[in-house]
Amino acid sequence: MDERFAPDGTARRASQVLDDLVGRLGPTGLWERQRAAEAEILTMGITFTVYTDGDDIDRAWPFDVIPRVIDGAEWDAVETGLVQRLRALNAFIDDVYNEQRVIADGVFPAELLADSVNFRPQCRGVRPPFGVWAHISGSDLVRHSDGRFYVLEDNLRVPSGVSYMLENRAVAKRVFPDLFERQSIRPVDGYADELKRMLTALAPAGVREPQLAVLTPGVFNSAYFEHSFLAQRLGAELVEGADLVVGDDDCVYMRSIEGLERVHVIYRRIDDLFLDPEVFRADSLIGVPGLMRAWRAGNVGIANAPGAGVADDKVVYAWVPDLIRYYLGEEPLIDNVPTWRCMYPDERRHVLDHLGELVVKPANESGGYGIVIGDRATPEQLAECASAIEADPRNWVAQPILALSTVPTVIGEDAVGQRHVDLRPFILSGATSYVTAGGLTRVALPEGSLVVNSSQGGGSKDTWIVDVEVGGT
Amino acid sequence: MALLARVADRVYWGARYTERAEDTARIVRAFGDLYVDFPVAAGLRWDPLIAIGGTPPESVLGVGVHHADNGEAAVLHHLIVDSGNPGSIAASVASARENLRTTREVMPREAWLAINQLSRFVRAEAPMSMDRRSRDWFLGRVTEISRRLDGVLESTMSRDAPYRMWRLGRLVERADMTTRVIGVRAAALLGRDTTDPVRRVDEVEWMGVLRSLSALQMYQRAARGPIESGAVLRFLLFHEPFPRSVRGCLSEIRRELQSLPGPSPVLDALSMLEHALVACAPDTTDGQAIDADMDRLQTAIAALDRAIAERYMRTHTRQ
Repeated sequence: MDERFAPDGTARRASQVLDDLVGRLGPTGLWERQRAAEAEILTMGITFTVYTDGDDIDRAWPFDVIPRVIDGAEWDAVETGLVQRLRALNAFIDDVYNEQRVIADGVFPAELLADSVNFRPQCRGVRPPFGVWAHISGSDLVRHSDGRFYVLEDNLRVPSGVSYMLENRAVAKRVFPDLFERQSIRPVDGYADELKRMLTALAPAGVREPQLAVLTPGVFNSAYFEHSFLAQRLGAELVEGADLVVGDDDCVYMRSIEGLERVHVIYRRIDDLFLDPEVFRADSLIGVPGLMRAWRAGNVGIANAPGAGVADDKVVYAWVPDLIRYYLGEEPLIDNVPTWRCMYPDERRHVLDHLGELVVKPANESGGYGIVIGDRATPEQLAECASAIEADPRNWVAQPILALSTVPTVIGEDAVGQRHVDLRPFILSGATSYVTAGGLTRVALPEGSLVVNSSQGGGSKDTWIVDVEVGGT
Repeated sequence: MALLARVADRVYWGARYTERAEDTARIVRAFGDLYVDFPVAAGLRWDPLIAIGGTPPESVLGVGVHHADNGEAAVLHHLIVDSGNPGSIAASVASARENLRTTREVMPREAWLAINQLSRFVRAEAPMSMDRRSRDWFLGRVTEISRRLDGVLESTMSRDAPYRMWRLGRLVERADMTTRVIGVRAAALLGRDTTDPVRRVDEVEWMGVLRSLSALQMYQRAARGPIESGAVLRFLLFHEPFPRSVRGCLSEIRRELQSLPGPSPVLDALSMLEHALVACAPDTTDGQAIDADMDRLQTAIAALDRAIAERYMRTHTRQ
């Protein structure tokens, strides 16, 4: 699907903004703005880390200057759908750690939970505030050839990218100040404030002005830029595991220059397996011994709650429509991409027979790792994939190869071409819900490529939710 | 607002490295200025500049190697671009940036922009500084951006613990640098005969020392007589109103410490340093004695630095 032009060649309603921009500036003018944006990114020090870079710890963030435009009316529906989805996912997580009604009622297979690498038995019986476990989530959306948005996956552990969404907007405003004045583009700035409000509400009872901390694995982590950025925007301390200590009173303290100071809410950006060596991986050097004790005692709020990842599994994903019906009694507002679950023999048969036409994904990898795209894989890769599926069917799902939508992108000095994009909006869940206006658009820069991950050569764009009626003309 | 001990350490070192880069730029710039003023016959060499960083000149220039340019290219390479020398401008700026990159949550955003700009500037332009014509411009920019960084903090940063840590880092490094410049230059200058033609040169060289600490103009205003070693040393060590004098730095360090929690062990170390300062004898003509005085000051500064780390930056033991 071409997001700019309808099949009859006319510009889509919201894309008139783009006509204004691409048409008026032309490839040369756009290239000039592209260069300006890249210079701005260097000046602002917007970076990300690639593990294989050796000495070059931080690299300039890849950004394409042409914004991705989405019609406000369409976006409103997506927003409602995402809120619905997270309500169901949080109800599911709360249920599997407590009554497990969903299993008793035969909606979700018990063996799936038993095999889940992200189910944390240590979290059984915990009742976090508002019944919410996945406070901050990022769902990856794609637009198919029918023009509709589909959820490709849910990221409920430590989704990253929101800082880049905010920085992309800051850069775009500097590069196209005139456009922001003329168009009605929804602002994205409110995120940090909403995040702070949500985190503050997780404080132990009676604490009105909680000390917030962002827990990072450290300065070499690929998302360190974001950890630091969010701590700055929240006015939170950015802490590493070694900065924290859990006292005999089961409260969490940080080592400050004044001695130990209480921490009330932790936005953790490390995987829960590394959170507390007393409970999870004993060899974790980045965690905090005793943190789970403190959390279970209600002395510290943790977002996302340990164990939330149980619903961040590409197999559980296939059940989300059922979970929405089961917990909310509603029909899903945003569809899943059709998904075959290799654990079921008939679905597995279908996958093995059609490997060349499917995208095969391991259930628990992130960052695009381990994915096999059928029509681009060699026969050897397909054979290898088939035996991996046979060996461990529960760990594999398959989906049709989607024709991701395309948008105009600067591809060279005097050239603009169509490139594939996806979208990661961020959803906050707590006492109330909040969805970012748009999200982080990722673009696959090589022609025809569908891989958008920045760790694998993808770029990014600012995302404009445009209200056409309000904007006039 | 709380300040994590680990973050305190990074802010402090971010400031020390920034100050080191700025001071090295001042020193190299002033020396280049002096060098072109100097009669060729006087045979001024670049070697002593290396000693300011605490490195023996032979390790950079080689033993008994003749340098047609009096060591200029090798010394400048060492002091400006050599990433293997932790005191070079390039390495100091890189370390300062890394420390600020990892303390962005406590430092104003504009400060990050400034250090990021400095780092990009140095990476791109440092090689240009090998050329005399662009060197002055390059070194001047390094000083300017470093000053701008302090200006940003001055005008936008709350006067709480992170700000105090930044100031401490700046002041400790600055005091240390002043003693190093005096130590090395005094040793080289005072060993000489004071026959008449050389005395003229001597005066020019003391002027160079003052310049390298950006002190010439303030010295002229404060001192009535001509430029001579005792008066210059008294000014650089004891003239409290001058911000790069050792006394001036120590007074400010005391003020910063008094705004931090529980400073008494650090104040004790500061008092030892003040004693060492009072014990300095500026009016001696014995270069070795001055050099020894400066060594004692540097040892006391190192002890102060350890006391700061011990009191505020220990993260691995329970408090």
